[in-house]
Amino acid sequence: MALLLSVLEQGMIYGILALGVYITYKILDFPDLTVDGSFPFGAALSVRMIGEWGLPAVLTLPAAFFGGVLVGMCTGIIHVKLKVRDLLSGIVMMTGLYTINLWVAGTGYVPIFNKETIFDNEMVNSIVPSYLFQFKNVVIIFLITMAAKYLLDWYLRTKSGFLLRAVGDNDTLVTSLGVDKGLVKIVGLSIANGLVSLSGCLYAQQQRSFEISIGTGAVAIGLASVIIGTSLLRKITLIRVTSSVIIGSIIYKACIALAMYAGVSANAIKLITAVLFLIILVIGMDKKRR
Amino acid sequence: MLLLSGIEMEEEKKDMIKKVSVLMMVVITMVMILAGCGSKEGYSIGISQFAVHGSLDNCREGFLAGLAEEGFVEGDNLTIEYVNAQADAGTAALTASNFVTKKVDLICAIATPSASTAYNATMNTNIPVVYTAVTDPVAAGLANEDKTSVGNVTGTSDVLAVEEQLGMIRRILPDAEKIGIIYNTSEANSVSAIADYKEKAGAYGFEIVESGVTAMSEVSLAAADLVNKVDCITNLTDNTVVSALQTVLDEANKKNIPVFGSEVEQVRAGCVASMGLEYYELGKQTGKMAAKILKGEVQASALEFEIITEPSLYVNTAAAEKIGLILADSFVENAYECFDEIVVE
Amino acid sequence: MLKLINISKNYNPGSVNEICLFQNFNFTVEDGAFVSVVGSNGSGKTSMLNLICGSIGTDYGSIMVNNEDITRQKGYIRHRRIGRVYQDPAKGTCPSMTILENMSLADNKGKPFHLGRGVSKGKIEDYKVLLRSLNLGLEDKMNIQVGSLSGGQRQALALLMASMTPIDFLILDEHTAALDPKTAERIMELTEYIVSEKHITTIMVTHNLRYAVEYGSRLVMMHEGKIILDESGEKKKLIQTGEIMDLFNKISVECGN
Repeated sequence: MALLLSVLEQGMIYGILALGVYITYKILDFPDLTVDGSFPFGAALSVRMIGEWGLPAVLTLPAAFFGGVLVGMCTGIIHVKLKVRDLLSGIVMMTGLYTINLWVAGTGYVPIFNKETIFDNEMVNSIVPSYLFQFKNVVIIFLITMAAKYLLDWYLRTKSGFLLRAVGDNDTLVTSLGVDKGLVKIVGLSIANGLVSLSGCLYAQQQRSFEISIGTGAVAIGLASVIIGTSLLRKITLIRVTSSVIIGSIIYKACIALAMYAGVSANAIKLITAVLFLIILVIGMDKKRR
Repeated sequence: MLLLSGIEMEEEKKDMIKKVSVLMMVVITMVMILAGCGSKEGYSIGISQFAVHGSLDNCREGFLAGLAEEGFVEGDNLTIEYVNAQADAGTAALTASNFVTKKVDLICAIATPSASTAYNATMNTNIPVVYTAVTDPVAAGLANEDKTSVGNVTGTSDVLAVEEQLGMIRRILPDAEKIGIIYNTSEANSVSAIADYKEKAGAYGFEIVESGVTAMSEVSLAAADLVNKVDCITNLTDNTVVSALQTVLDEANKKNIPVFGSEVEQVRAGCVASMGLEYYELGKQTGKMAAKILKGEVQASALEFEIITEPSLYVNTAAAEKIGLILADSFVENAYECFDEIVVE
Repeated sequence: MLKLINISKNYNPGSVNEICLFQNFNFTVEDGAFVSVVGSNGSGKTSMLNLICGSIGTDYGSIMVNNEDITRQKGYIRHRRIGRVYQDPAKGTCPSMTILENMSLADNKGKPFHLGRGVSKGKIEDYKVLLRSLNLGLEDKMNIQVGSLSGGQRQALALLMASMTPIDFLILDEHTAALDPKTAERIMELTEYIVSEKHITTIMVTHNLRYAVEYGSRLVMMHEGKIILDESGEKKKLIQTGEIMDLFNKISVECGN
């Protein structure tokens, strides 16, 4: 049971990250490495707010999201205004964010074990009976993840969202429609990194600590989730793409947890992940190449 | 016509594979739910070690020895599952979560990141965590300022003997002015140790020159740069730098600069000397604490964390010879242990 | 009314690779005119379109639209009052979105793209009517992804999308060049229909001399950044395809092509 709960919690937290990666990688067609920096940024901001500044945990959610939005805006500006290539803009931001995250958090490791988090605070603890405590985390994470997902779904059906979908597909059309495509890209990057940062914020509170290295490989996990979700669940039309991305994240985490439970050495896990990834990519190969 | 039906079959096959994979996932999930159920003989301990290097390994061996002395012998009445996180925080977290799923009786966490992930994973459970090689348990959130525990967690700390180390360096190098220290800026234990060194160095007439890195790959450049600016280098219990010790030694040897370690394994590997901890003893002490908890004599929450108060002097004469450093006989005789060769594993 | 006044444009000025695109180039298009522009490759036809749309800037000179100087106006802002159809059918539509979504996008041109609903339910019937006029059966496929349509269908849709909202000019950049002859014919008929229905000022660049002669009220031939033939009205109607062909060959020979 503990294993299942852990997989669901991690899967959904990283599911929000996967939503962000989905926006940049699939919709904007922009491989965004900023994620390795914006994920820990949300984490750093939330531990600073909860730890040193002693603010109520619920404020960390909007703070992390809008912090991530700012980060994404910077990446966008570097790419659009300074005309730096997509991959490189992300790398520049990711590198710079290492230092910024250290500043924001204070040091490379910040524990918040005895502070109130979004999962463990007066209000929540008073509502939930103690025998259900082990489900607290997963329910709260579920609610936040669903909220993020439905908001994103709604946004992608608005006029502004249509532009986002258009710019990754055919940016000439966006200009033909009289819209500054650079601005659309910046908006897309902002929203995506906002989600990633939110994910980092939840992660730090679930782990009750911030560690500077949690960002390393975050974009790879996000991509894996997106690809697993979209490849495996493509034919099932009842499931929206955003849901499939979150499910993909849960599947990914499940595979890793299972491998570890079965006694696979921690070192071998990365190789196994790569093989799993490859199998899934081949099974779900996208035949409709434009 | 045949070709078309051939392609259709392909599609159907792929569809089948997809459906099977989804089904498999469901089955796997069910297995996981049931995974928690099960019973075993004797006691089980999960050891979560953060990285591979001599000091941490010594801790682990000492831990097992300490348990054995108190009657918990591996294979007899004790099963040990040992996982090394290879310096990856994510793996450490996964390991801890895994141990909780398997409902071990106790988790032994070696080094700070393993300790904090273990504590987090066991928060809503009855599983006690006993840590070792955590330089600053207070900063790590595992203990209060008065050494009392914050929860079902306790252990031993390898806080550096900074004063004694500085005194030892002064005795070996009477004319030295600058001591260099390389550390990983994101390891909290190193950051607090640097502050400690800077505070106390002045009294011994030293100036500390620090060089921060963010990953093991940067140690080589940092060392090459630092050896030009200082008279000697001393190590902290920084996991990153200790793992890259040979690199630091190589650069220092080129300039005939001594490197002082923070514990015995480093001296054995080529550091000139150290006022260090015997990590094996530290581990043993931890093992005994764990034994008490397993026997039910005391709860982890009631135990204050312990440290080793008396550092010991370790010397490596071969290392000194290599860089042309002469150590006084009286000095060497006082050593707790003296090595006359450099052992590189 | 469009006026290009004394336009000069060089690529790589001052270097060995300097190419003079235009020098004191002047071009005026009256409201309601349908201008066909022909010329060999490198004659400057597409560059002229790019100048009008803002994809490239001028070194000297100005561009006036209805007596408003738009020389310094950014490309995407000019496009709000311009409809442009490209040679490549893939450039005019969004392949991963449905026909309905594409039309909703195009319908919003010139208006702010805010957080309102992307597709207005009330407008679906209007779009259906528009699609019906294409006679391609697309009105029954409104929820199909555009990526799965054929080149001709996409180009027809692109044409429709470009002219859905009120525009000052319709710019057609060799828009039938990538299509097979039958589909090209259909698209030209469609173009004629849309242009005459909505009285849109149109500039069409084409390599097909027959279309240039048959369609439109004015024929312009360009060569090396200059206009060497400009006939409109009655005189234009009398031109034969053969004549244009001869002129074309004559210039080409002179250039050594």
